[in-house]
Amino acid sequence: MSYVDAIDKVAVPKPARFYTSPQFAHVFGVPMAYRRQGNGEAVVLFHGAGFTRRWIPLYEMLAKSVDFIAPEAPGFGETPLPKWFKNFDDLTILYDQFFETLGVDKIHLIGFSMGGWAASEFAAFYPRRLKSLSLITPVGLRLEDNPGVDIFQLSPVELLDRLFKDKRVMQEFLIDPEDFEEGIHLYSEFSAAARLMWAPRYNLALERRLQRLTCPTLVVGAEDDQLVPNAMSDRFAAVLPNSRLVRIPGTGHEPCLERPRALADVLLSFIAEAAR
Amino acid sequence: MNQLRFYFFHLMPYPYIPPTAEFASTWVSLSNKYYEPQRGRILYNEYIEQLVAAEKYGFDGVGVNEHHANFYGTMPSPNIIAAMLVQRTTHIPIGVIGNAIPLHGNPLRVAEEIAMLDVISGGRMISGFVRGIGCEYFNNGVAPGDSVERFDEAHDLIIKAWTVDGPFTWQGEHFYIPNVNPIPRPIQTPHPPVWIPGQGSLETLQFIAKHHYTYMMVFAPQWFTKMAFDGLREECLRLGYEAPKTMFNAVVPTYVAETDAQAHREAKAHLSWVFNTGLKIPDQLFFPPGYMSTKSFRNFIGALKKGRVKAQAQLTYDEMLKDRYLIVGSPETVKNQLGEYCEDVGAGGILAAGASYGPMPHWMVTKNMQIFSEEIMPAFRDADGKPDHLRHEPLAPRTRAEFAAQHGRPPEPARSLVTGSTQLIDHRVAHVPEIIDASLRGHPGIKLG
Repeated sequence: MSYVDAIDKVAVPKPARFYTSPQFAHVFGVPMAYRRQGNGEAVVLFHGAGFTRRWIPLYEMLAKSVDFIAPEAPGFGETPLPKWFKNFDDLTILYDQFFETLGVDKIHLIGFSMGGWAASEFAAFYPRRLKSLSLITPVGLRLEDNPGVDIFQLSPVELLDRLFKDKRVMQEFLIDPEDFEEGIHLYSEFSAAARLMWAPRYNLALERRLQRLTCPTLVVGAEDDQLVPNAMSDRFAAVLPNSRLVRIPGTGHEPCLERPRALADVLLSFIAEAAR
Repeated sequence: MNQLRFYFFHLMPYPYIPPTAEFASTWVSLSNKYYEPQRGRILYNEYIEQLVAAEKYGFDGVGVNEHHANFYGTMPSPNIIAAMLVQRTTHIPIGVIGNAIPLHGNPLRVAEEIAMLDVISGGRMISGFVRGIGCEYFNNGVAPGDSVERFDEAHDLIIKAWTVDGPFTWQGEHFYIPNVNPIPRPIQTPHPPVWIPGQGSLETLQFIAKHHYTYMMVFAPQWFTKMAFDGLREECLRLGYEAPKTMFNAVVPTYVAETDAQAHREAKAHLSWVFNTGLKIPDQLFFPPGYMSTKSFRNFIGALKKGRVKAQAQLTYDEMLKDRYLIVGSPETVKNQLGEYCEDVGAGGILAAGASYGPMPHWMVTKNMQIFSEEIMPAFRDADGKPDHLRHEPLAPRTRAEFAAQHGRPPEPARSLVTGSTQLIDHRVAHVPEIIDASLRGHPGIKLG
């Protein structure tokens, strides 16, 4: 089977706020959507399982200081989902090839939520590409006796309620759980997310594999995460070599949207230090 | 052949749960702490009584199915119930409609169990295959996005295991089995009839048409069932054959009593329970991500929003009657409506006819069965009133005498070698020294007599 076969093409809605047109890089026949702006150190952010397609204020802030790249994984944003795309191994190899295609060698990698898991997998397989690794309210490790809520059992209303500590954010981003097209798109993105993390919701091998990392690592936790237990960022900080943990006040699971200025400051100073 | 076949289909609900308004879903999240095994024992055994009784009332078949972690249907392992029915009935076909084949680690287990049941029952099994509804995927590690692929592959594996001599190797994408060699094989050739329950998706219809299987339309309004049946007829014509009426079964709960008013008085609360409580399921549990393609999901949610279809939990009893999800009334009414319905959609079989619904008391189920069998069934049968399965000889002898008469007298004995000996033992006479002595005398390893 050719990699180009069997791509499920669906129309992708454009969010009312912060939408920008992406560029595309063709990797294994998949047109990978990405947004890129700025100069300096190459900084890449792996998104979470939603809120794609937007050039959000955090990205704008980062792009003022670095060469900021935000790709969209298969099934997310405007990157289609090929049938063969099944797991984090597929994603890891796809991202490595994506960097080859862009001619980007060493990067500072940031991963948010599910993207934190993706970034951890990538880091474990390609540690020599990394100058630093930052994980924002990540998932992917096992917390014994504390599995947290099952995101796939939540209605859109319940999900949004748990995502934000600061509910004003929903207004700023015009996020409406009743929006038909966005609801359908969220289903398609969750369909891709379910391929990656329906079962199990962790990779036990990560705890061992991440020990290979020699670059500086940072974990950004929430003040009060109602979606993923706060203990998850503690666990990541304990597992990662050379790590520090920062919690940003006023945040729930979505520091990227809730406190972009504070988060950008933390990330940029960490990256600047790591680049030295 | 009779005009219409009637199948007694049971879901085996457990209705002793908190009032419907107090929980979000009867599936997945409603705690199993509400299941009281003491009550469950009474219920299961009553339900089994009803299924067994269906043979005496003259039904064309009985049916059970697989559901998990819910109070709507408490048969996580339908083959276990089928095994009991095999033992307590003699001639009636028994349908497991169906086994949720993508959910299990090794689909061969289903091939083995159905083959066991088919052999023990003398070829009376109907083998249904389903994906399982979306909720089912929360109870195990199978990703809902793999559901269709796993269904297709498990189906191909089971059919091959039943029809091709083993051993062979299965090298699939989702299942790898180094040695496929299920023992026993089913009695029915090439294999037990396959029924596919569905909700009318084009993919399902094409699959059924391709394999000449029997379709089973689950709860739906009449217009929708007709659309799906027409679609299936068209797919069959496209493949060059005219679909026989027996390919089309519809699940239409049917309740009959002395008068229309009496029938509604008796049935309304219980039939409503099946839809309003039993199927109270939030969208995100009904359709876990990947269970449907985004396109299908979009069509479905779009139709819900536009009011073209209604979630089953939202239907009122009057709407269920109007759209013919159900048929309820006096014998005259039920006869007429069933006749119209089957003529309109072109159905050859009705499932859940004259059956048990939700928390309906046992006596009421029995009442429905009796009136249904005496006043409705004969109207759709040949003059003798027999179900079709009594019109032909059983597929396999039921007694040793019949077997011997048909397979040689005496039947071929089992023969084996005892370790240390080179001479075959004839197990039929192994204990009779004067017969066996001649062949084994003098062998140092064996002492006989």
